[in-house]
Amino acid sequence: MPDKRLIRWVVAVPMALLALATIYPLVFTANVALKARRDYVLDRFSPTTSLQWDNIVTAWTSVGMARYFANSLVVVTISVVLLLLLGSMAGFALSRLRFRGSKALFLGCLAALFIPFQVIMVPLARVMADSGLIDTYPGLVLAYVAQFLPFTIFLMTSYYKTIPAEIVDAARIDGNTTYGVYRRIMLPMGTPALLSVGILNTLFCWNDVLISLLMMPSANHRTLMVGVTSLRGQYSDNIPTFASGVLIAAVPMLMIYLFLQRQIADGVTAGSTKG
Amino acid sequence: MRSERLAPYVLVAPALLIIVALRLWPLLLGVNFSFTGDGERNGTMVGLDNYLEMFQDATFQSALRNVGLLVLLLPVAVAIPGLLATFIYLRVPGHRVFRSVYFFPAVLSPVIVGAIFNLMLAFDGPLNTVLATIGLGPVDWLGDPGVAMFAVVGVHVWATFGMALVVFLAGFATLDSALLDAARMDGASLPQTIRHVIIPGLTRTIQFVFVTTMIGMLTSMFGLLYVMTSGGPEGSTYLPEYYVWIQQGQMNRPALASAASTVLFLIMLVVGLLQISVLRRAGRED
Repeated sequence: MPDKRLIRWVVAVPMALLALATIYPLVFTANVALKARRDYVLDRFSPTTSLQWDNIVTAWTSVGMARYFANSLVVVTISVVLLLLLGSMAGFALSRLRFRGSKALFLGCLAALFIPFQVIMVPLARVMADSGLIDTYPGLVLAYVAQFLPFTIFLMTSYYKTIPAEIVDAARIDGNTTYGVYRRIMLPMGTPALLSVGILNTLFCWNDVLISLLMMPSANHRTLMVGVTSLRGQYSDNIPTFASGVLIAAVPMLMIYLFLQRQIADGVTAGSTKG
Repeated sequence: MRSERLAPYVLVAPALLIIVALRLWPLLLGVNFSFTGDGERNGTMVGLDNYLEMFQDATFQSALRNVGLLVLLLPVAVAIPGLLATFIYLRVPGHRVFRSVYFFPAVLSPVIVGAIFNLMLAFDGPLNTVLATIGLGPVDWLGDPGVAMFAVVGVHVWATFGMALVVFLAGFATLDSALLDAARMDGASLPQTIRHVIIPGLTRTIQFVFVTTMIGMLTSMFGLLYVMTSGGPEGSTYLPEYYVWIQQGQMNRPALASAASTVLFLIMLVVGLLQISVLRRAGRED
């Protein structure tokens, strides 16, 4: 049927335009980031003729992006490792061990999943301030872990439920304690889920701005995203440097997108089909 | 074996402690907090004073109006990824490329998206230049109180429709392809196929996307608002979450902010309960 095929092509054209509209903003920003300031003022659209890596260097060194980048890297790495550790421990217990109160615990976790950060941020700031954790790295790590732990536990629990009980039983017969089962069976077998959930948590923590703004008032404690928000004020008359800073902050997640797109999609859909 | 009996509790204890201390306890604390005063009246019970003050505050009214606007725009925000997923599922030419390109903004932080669109939506920026070539505009996207909120929501949809698209495609994977083949045999048109085969088959997925999109609109636009408009112009782009931040972080009114948090929590609760009731109804139909 030729007209059916025609319809497909007719649909494909707006879809291609939309794809263009999806990519163009980033291409535009990357192009601006590499333009000389004078060229930008004259013509912001034309492809840059001279690659001005200086802009990137300026953003990296003199604006403090290097410092913010390091802050983010440390905080996000520790947060994600803790999330995976605590989430898999709790997920194992909730999915494969029988104990009093396990049902109530799982429901409590689900309930916590539906409490947005904005709802608890004022009292949380007070709790953190009272315990001396505000404006400290451990405080920010704790805030991230608390925020994303319910989601992590939920996904790990549903994944561990798909591991056959026979495997766990067999490991016990071989003389493993509960901790041995966790270390030798659940951790290795949970790798695909840990990878998906780990990447998603990395995205959430790296991209966060609100929690970091609330927890880290000092300028030298800023994470990268808060650093980006401060760029605009400093470089409002130097858009290429501003764009360079934005680009630096976007690159790590673009890498994750390029190489680990599948795992992100798996994590997102696991949440939807089990929910 | 005592240690074996205790093992499950040892495994859940750290997670439990963190969730209770840093999520559930603050929730109770915050609700209680919203009935106390700020500044000189710090710590004393003031009844509903914060709530009364808040509902008379023009910026909070603007925030609530914008929540209403989000509810109105919700069907559009769900239909766009739904329709695109349908076309990708039906394998339009280039569907693989589209699928992965559409997903890409979803990995970017709202802060980065906001910063990029500050450039794109500038008065002399790319979008107005494109519009000028077809004889339209220029529009003051972020400076016109009647336009700014639509611009921000549009950017939010640009940044998040890829996530919903992936969820829709996962739903399509569970769809019975025999039904689609039958529809094709019977000569059903595309709109007919969507209406009679795809929508009924994807009820659960559609509901899930509705709820997650609504939650996303209510709780993850802070970064965009913070970077793009700071709630302006004329308070036209306030949302409850931004109001909470301003009262807590800028105005030093934590108790008033807690009242706004409580209202946001009630809104979220209504969304959650609607989801449960809709799911129940769908469950009975199955």
